[in-house]
Amino acid sequence: MDSLAAVDWTAYEQEALKAIEGALSESELDDARVKYLGRKSELAQALRAVRDRESGMLLNGIRARLEAAVLAREHDLLRVAYEAAADSGVDVTIPGHPVRRGRLHLLTQIRREIEDIFLGMGYEVWDGAEVATTWENFDALTSDPGHPSRSQFDTFYLDDDTVLRTHTSPDQIRAMQQRTPPVYLVSPGRCYRRDTPDATHSPIFLQVECLAVDRGITLADLQGTVLQFFRALFGQEREVRMRTSFFPFTEPSVEFDVTCFICGGRGCGTCKHSGWIEMGGAGWVDPDVFRNVDLDPAEWQGFAFGFGIERIAMLRHGLPDLRAFWENDLRVLGQF
Amino acid sequence: MKVPVSWLREYVDFDLPVEELARQLVFTSCEVDRIVRRGVPGGDNLRHFVVGKVLEAAKHPNADKLQLTKVDVGDGEPRSIVCGAWNFGAGATVAVVTPGGVMPGGEFTIEKRKLRGETSEGMILSERELELGEDHAGIMVLADDLVAGTPLADVLPLGDDVLEIETLYNRPDLTSVYGIAREVAALTGGELKPMPGVEPARDGDEPFPVTIEDLEGCPRFIARVFRDVTLGESPAWLKARLSGAGMRPISNVVDITNYVMLALGSPLHAYDAETLAGGQIIVRRARAGEELVTLDGTRRELDTRDLVIADAERAIGLAGVMGGENTEVSGSTTSVILETANFEPLTVLKSGERHRMRSESQTRWEKGVDPEAAGYAARYASQLLAELAGARWTGETEVRGEIPAPPTIAFRPAYTNEAIGLDVPESEQRDRLDRLGFGVDEQWNVSVPSWRARDVRRDIDVVEEVARFRLEDVPATLPNRQAMHGRLTHTQRLRRQVEDVLVGAGLHEAYTYSLQPDDPDPNALELPVPLSSQQRLLRTTLSVGLIGAARHNVDMGNHDVELFEVAHVYLPVEGSKVPNERWRLGGILQGNFFRAKGIVEAVFEALHVEPTFERAQVLEGSPVGARVESGWVAQHGPVGLDGEWSAFELDLEELFALVPERILYRDVITFPPLRQDLAFVVDEGVPAGQLLAAAREAAGEELREARFLSDYRGDQIAAGKKSVAFAVAFQSPERTLSDEDATRLRRAVVEALATRFGAELRA
Repeated sequence: MDSLAAVDWTAYEQEALKAIEGALSESELDDARVKYLGRKSELAQALRAVRDRESGMLLNGIRARLEAAVLAREHDLLRVAYEAAADSGVDVTIPGHPVRRGRLHLLTQIRREIEDIFLGMGYEVWDGAEVATTWENFDALTSDPGHPSRSQFDTFYLDDDTVLRTHTSPDQIRAMQQRTPPVYLVSPGRCYRRDTPDATHSPIFLQVECLAVDRGITLADLQGTVLQFFRALFGQEREVRMRTSFFPFTEPSVEFDVTCFICGGRGCGTCKHSGWIEMGGAGWVDPDVFRNVDLDPAEWQGFAFGFGIERIAMLRHGLPDLRAFWENDLRVLGQF
Repeated sequence: MKVPVSWLREYVDFDLPVEELARQLVFTSCEVDRIVRRGVPGGDNLRHFVVGKVLEAAKHPNADKLQLTKVDVGDGEPRSIVCGAWNFGAGATVAVVTPGGVMPGGEFTIEKRKLRGETSEGMILSERELELGEDHAGIMVLADDLVAGTPLADVLPLGDDVLEIETLYNRPDLTSVYGIAREVAALTGGELKPMPGVEPARDGDEPFPVTIEDLEGCPRFIARVFRDVTLGESPAWLKARLSGAGMRPISNVVDITNYVMLALGSPLHAYDAETLAGGQIIVRRARAGEELVTLDGTRRELDTRDLVIADAERAIGLAGVMGGENTEVSGSTTSVILETANFEPLTVLKSGERHRMRSESQTRWEKGVDPEAAGYAARYASQLLAELAGARWTGETEVRGEIPAPPTIAFRPAYTNEAIGLDVPESEQRDRLDRLGFGVDEQWNVSVPSWRARDVRRDIDVVEEVARFRLEDVPATLPNRQAMHGRLTHTQRLRRQVEDVLVGAGLHEAYTYSLQPDDPDPNALELPVPLSSQQRLLRTTLSVGLIGAARHNVDMGNHDVELFEVAHVYLPVEGSKVPNERWRLGGILQGNFFRAKGIVEAVFEALHVEPTFERAQVLEGSPVGARVESGWVAQHGPVGLDGEWSAFELDLEELFALVPERILYRDVITFPPLRQDLAFVVDEGVPAGQLLAAAREAAGEELREARFLSDYRGDQIAAGKKSVAFAVAFQSPERTLSDEDATRLRRAVVEALATRFGAELRA
């Protein structure tokens, strides 16, 4: 084998290594690589011609070492280049390539947060229809015919028997009709009342209903559930209290307050210096409501509570005007 | 209801500070909005307010309109006081404030000062200055038997705290001071005084005919006749109480009716007896076309459903709501018919609604007044008419129909504990019920007092009566559950996923009204009485609201408007007012059809659903639109928005029905794919989507991917033709495909497209 014999491979390797390690640019390195490792290099030709194991091992060893040297030199050159770039002071405050992204509506974010807390407590999320029969919205909830909420000045009627639900409570009725107890559910959704829109009123608003039906449920269970929920939502330091109230479908009925999550209960503008924030209504499910859905109140007991989503959003984020939720101004939506 | 605390204290003893009482009432009984201090600020300040005797009174030497007086205030040092009033002279007994005294409102302190050269050491007071009434014509002249120096607070109601209370719907008994006193007694354990009112001696037996034509609307009516009535002003204490309770003093007779209403909760009305045609009263429904000018001066066309009080000829009052001008008590009145009654709540409520009226009387009637209170109110008012207006009670007629007896409830005290989760001892329950006026016998049969008969009808209602006093003590426990799993449904999870995909794609979520001014569906459900024409239809599409939201953003100068909404639409159902409510996803974006289509494709891809688009006119005036599974995507026609806008709407229930329940793994790793680009020349009218679909069908499972690359018309392509290019990948999960396999699959595709679309493979 002429070529094998004719070449001093030790010198070849030395010479190649020198060229590779001395390359000062990618193109010089490439030239060296082509010359010593390329298809037409002496090494490549010799490898093609090799017929004995000993020569093959020798030449392959040289090739492997040279290739490693090329790779190492490549890295060195890159490092040098990057160091130079770092020294040149790229302005990293210039924005990156823009990526479009939107946002969930604040009310959806809060609705999901509420749902997630209840899911964690083992409740299901119920999707209720917004159009209700007067039976579902009033009668089955034992609202008497003189109750002001039934007035056509307060309620949107489609006809004498059909209304836009005025609260999420008809979902109590529907759920108890469709489910076999125990029932633990939370039902968020749109409700409607004939309120002229202003900063704190809207004819359409979002409410959340929570219903628990099981054996042996007490008002104390309501108190505990409300407490756990608001601690999850507003922080572990929160306390809740119940005050007497009236709702046709609960007995006893209560309103519940939460210690102010802005001032911690010391008193501030948000809580009108009382330390407490009114959150919603609640109570022990009236036995007649159970009878209306053919459940035996001697066997089943329950509690229900409801509150507004907008109110939480407004209190927590300092939004002064309810109408902003329905205007969908990107300058507002984009903030949350 | 505004409750002057001094009035409350007349009916019940309690030791709590007012603030603490209010705090506790909020838990047990009613909202207390605030406590307002009325009149002269209390405490040490009261010592400056005393009874004075005028020793001398003469014209001020330097002022024609002023008097200069010397007043004995009981300390042996008569004060000189300058006064602008002339309705008194030497010897008069008057109300005086000495220097240092702070006047009502707390802003003004009386000081010793010179007035036109004469020293004035205080002020002689008028009714209005003390906030006791409206009178400011002169100073208050007090009874002569009062001794100089007597604290004025012992003689006049100088200052008072007023509780501003909001009563609950089921507690009409708390719309009276006595009712609240009863509640305070139950709350604090303080003693409740007997109900006020002692029947005066009756002087005569004058007949006065009363006919009730509608005993359902008016189950009880008491008319009392009074003669020799001296109409005049009410005494200071009465005016102060009414003012404190937020009512304007008018005259002694009218003030007495208002006072007794506030005290006992049963509204009363006084008629001038001389003005009643036929000298009688008839309670009936209004006649068609009948009119009445009510006391507020408004002429009202009555409805035949309105219950009215009438005389022999005409309506004289809208029952339970407001009296009529035609029989109003006036300065010339000497004979009075006093009405106390029972009116059916719903009748009063409906009349009030029909005539858009709101009165103190009506708010009580429509919640249900204690039927027995009519008698007590008549008694107390009669006493006051005799005492304060010199009236002689000369006759009475009472008509009553069936008034159901209050219920008696078999109660189990353990029920309280079962319901509220707090052990309330039997003795406490019994005591509380007793104080609230319930009767409890040995067997725990609970008889309900008349003033609670509407609300307390069942054992659970009795529980509340006990429980509401212990709400602060109810522990916080959690239900003892035997099974528990909280998770979103498949549909709910997909809905969140869709929302998240859209947010990731750059859209903001919008909330638009369910009620819209317009809707493309002529059968959309319409509110018979909408709040405004802008919110009259229950929408069948989200697009109208989203256009509005987009327009608002454009008007506000916002850019890159891309919105979506996930909400209900309300599809009309024939023969029903209950619509088919569907969850829809709607979107609107600045840009052409393909902007919107890209978003829709992203949603489908996220859900693992392959969409098929078919050209269709889905929006009126739209230049390009398509139907896709579960909905549509289109470029908007002119909708009042500049530039190109596009939109989409998908029915989420239909869409989610297409989502595979489970994704099965496909082996795309073990054997390599063979990739090729294919271009076909076809007629311009052939949709690229159909070519792709046909290619998939022809090659079967082994065509793992077929992706649109380009759609080209131009020099190298014949007129009326276009070139459509795809990238395809052939792959098998079972073996490495050979070149022969690739050729076979490719041939299948080429032949299928040639046959179905006349497509020619380009070189």
